[in-house]
Amino acid sequence: MNNVYIPITVDHIARVEGKGGVEILVGDDGVKEVRLNIIEGPRFFEAITLGKKLDEALAVYPRICSFCSAAHKLTAVEAAEKAIGFTPREEIQALREVLYIGDMIESHALHLYLLVLPDYLGYSGPLHMVDEYKKEIGIALDLKNLGSWIMEVLGSRAIHQENVVFGGFGKLPGKATLELMKKRLQEALPKAEYTFELFSKLEQYKEVEGPITHLAVKPRGDVYGIYGDYISASDGNEFPSEDYKEHIKEFVVEHSFAKHSHYHGKPFMVGAISRVVNHADKLYGKAKELYESHRNLLRPTNPFANNLAQALELVYFAERAIDLIDEALAKWPIRPRDEVEIKDGFGVSTTEAPRGILIYALEVKDGKVAYADIITPTAFNLAMLEEHVRMMAEKHYKDEPERLKYLTEMVVRAYDPCISCSVHVARL
Amino acid sequence: MRRKAKIGFYALTSCYGCQLQFAMIDELVQALEKIRIECWFMLDRESNENAKVDIALIEGSVSTEEEVELVKKIRENAKIVVAVGSCAVQGGVQSWEKDKPLEELWKTVYGDGKVKFKPKMAEPVSKYIKVDYNIYGCPPEKKDFIYALGTLLIDSWPEDIDYPVCLECRLKGNPCVLIEKGEPCLGPITRAGCDARCPSYGIACIGCRGAIGYDVAWFDSLARTFREKGLTKEEILERMKIFNAHNPKLEEMVEKVFQGVEE
Repeated sequence: MNNVYIPITVDHIARVEGKGGVEILVGDDGVKEVRLNIIEGPRFFEAITLGKKLDEALAVYPRICSFCSAAHKLTAVEAAEKAIGFTPREEIQALREVLYIGDMIESHALHLYLLVLPDYLGYSGPLHMVDEYKKEIGIALDLKNLGSWIMEVLGSRAIHQENVVFGGFGKLPGKATLELMKKRLQEALPKAEYTFELFSKLEQYKEVEGPITHLAVKPRGDVYGIYGDYISASDGNEFPSEDYKEHIKEFVVEHSFAKHSHYHGKPFMVGAISRVVNHADKLYGKAKELYESHRNLLRPTNPFANNLAQALELVYFAERAIDLIDEALAKWPIRPRDEVEIKDGFGVSTTEAPRGILIYALEVKDGKVAYADIITPTAFNLAMLEEHVRMMAEKHYKDEPERLKYLTEMVVRAYDPCISCSVHVARL
Repeated sequence: MRRKAKIGFYALTSCYGCQLQFAMIDELVQALEKIRIECWFMLDRESNENAKVDIALIEGSVSTEEEVELVKKIRENAKIVVAVGSCAVQGGVQSWEKDKPLEELWKTVYGDGKVKFKPKMAEPVSKYIKVDYNIYGCPPEKKDFIYALGTLLIDSWPEDIDYPVCLECRLKGNPCVLIEKGEPCLGPITRAGCDARCPSYGIACIGCRGAIGYDVAWFDSLARTFREKGLTKEEILERMKIFNAHNPKLEEMVEKVFQGVEE
C-alpha cells in the first residue's frame, strides 16, 4: 500500500496546563505530518481590554494563566508603569522580584514533580505515587507551598494576585514575616538541591538532539534573573526589547488557536534552558557550582535539558530571593506605595516567566488601554516544540502507537507548555 | 463500606486556575481514601473523558462549538454537575466584551487568520446544561472546594452564600475601601467567602466571586454611590461587568439610576 496515512493522535495531552493534542500522520515511507493542535478556546485578552481603564485591565491580564499569574501581573504592571513614565523604588522592585520568584518556585516544583516525574517512574499521574514516593511528593508539596505562600504574602493570593498596584503594593508584610520568608527559603535549599540531583539522573532522549536557537531576556544588573530590557539570542545577537517585532514574527496556523513565532524566519526556544544557555555566566552561589559540575547535562541541544535547568533554577532563585529580601530589609521600614500620575505613553516590558520570555507592550491614553500586545513563552515555543515532536516521531513511528504517544507527550511536557497562556494572544 | 465516589475534573476554556487550586489542596491526598478520580487530564494521563462519574467538576467557559458537545456529554455521564470558578459559573473575564461581535474580537487578535476549530463567544456552563451546584471565585478558595465536596460526599447539599464581601470585611475591622478611600470597591454586590481578601490588602474588590444571587445584589445602590463619586454610567457598567457580563439584572438596574440624569 502506498501513501496510506495512519493518524496517531493524542486528543488531550495530559499533565500540561491547558488543552492541546498531538496528531501524527504516518505513511509507508515515514512521518508525513506532525501537528500540535491547540484546542483551548480563544479568549481575546488584548481585544477585550482595549479602551478599558488601566487598573481594570491589569486585574484581568493575570487571568490569562494561573500557573504564571504573578508573571503576567508583574510584567503588565511594569509595561504600564513604563508607559506612564514611572519607575518604582529599588526596594519595591526587589520585593516584586521576590513575588515573581514565588511564582517561579511554585511553577517549577509543580512541573518537575507532578507533571514530568511520573513519566520517568512509570505512573500515569502524581496521585498514584503517593505511597511509593513519599519523600518526593513531600518535597514537591513543600516547595510548591513555599512558592504559593510567598505569592500569598506579597501578592494577596497564590493565583491571580491583586496586591501589586501602580507605584508599589497595596500593603506590605511586616518585617517579621519577611524574616520568616528568608528562613523558609533557607530551609528549602536542601530540598531544591535534592531536586537537582534527582533530575540530573533522568534520561534526556537523544532522538531530539540538534541545534537550537535560544532566546532569553538579558538580566538587568548583570545578575541572573527575571527582569531586563534587552533580549539575547544564542546566535550572538542582542537587541532592545522594544524592537522585538523586528526580530520575532508571529503568524496564525490553521491547527491551533495559538499563533506560532519565528526568530529571523526560524523556530526558536525560550525557557529555563535558554536562560541557562545564554546567561549561565551570571549565576552565583550554589547554583553556579552545580552548573559547573553538570554542564554536560545542561546541553543547549536538547529540550529535555529544560527539566534540569528548572531544577537548577529552584536552587538559584531560592538563594536569590534571600538576597533580595536582605536588600529590602536593609531599607526597612518601606513605604508600600508611591503616588503615581497616569500620563499618556507607550511601554514594553520583557521578563522571564517560568517558561521563558513574556512580552507586554501597552499604550496608555487618557488612563485607558489604547494598544495591547502580549506574547507568551509558549506561543514563542510552539514552532520549535512541533519540530522536536516531529524528530521524536520520525525515530519512533514504527513503534507501538502507545509508545510513540508516550514519547511525544514527554517532549511536550519537557517544554512545560502553558497552553492557556499561548491562546488569545497578540494583536496583529 | 460505601464504595469510593467517582469524580471527574473537566476543563473548558480557562486559565486552569481552578484545577491548580484544587491540586494545591494538601488534603486531597487524604481524600483519595474516599474518592476515585476518573478523569483529570491536568494531573493524570489515564483520564477517561467518557467515564460515568458521581460528581463532575467543570472549569472554564464554553468557548468553542466542540466544548458545547463536551458539556452535554459530561452532563449525561454525571450524577451531580458542579460548575467551578468564575469562567464556568459566570462566563469568566473573557465575557467582558460579550456584546461585541465575535468577528470583531477575532479580527483584532487573529487578523484574517483562520483556524480549523469553531470559536464562539464565552458563556457559562449553565447556558447549555443543568448545573447542580456552583463553586465561586477566580479562583475559588481552597475551603470552597473542601466544603462543597465534603458536603456532597456525605449526600448533603452545600449551602450557597447570600451575603456580600462587606460583611466579612467589617468583621475583620478593615478601613472601608469604598467610603474611606473613595475607590470603586465592588464588595457590596459581591458574594462573600474570600474573607475580604483584597480589601484586607487595601485593594478595591473587583468582584471575582460574582454578584450575590437571590436578588440581593444591589447594583443600583452601588451605582448611585459610584455616580456620587464621579464615575460615569459607562465606567460603572464596565467595572461591574468584568465578572458579571452575563448577569441579567445588572444593566437594567444600573440604567435605572441614570434615568433622566444628565452626565
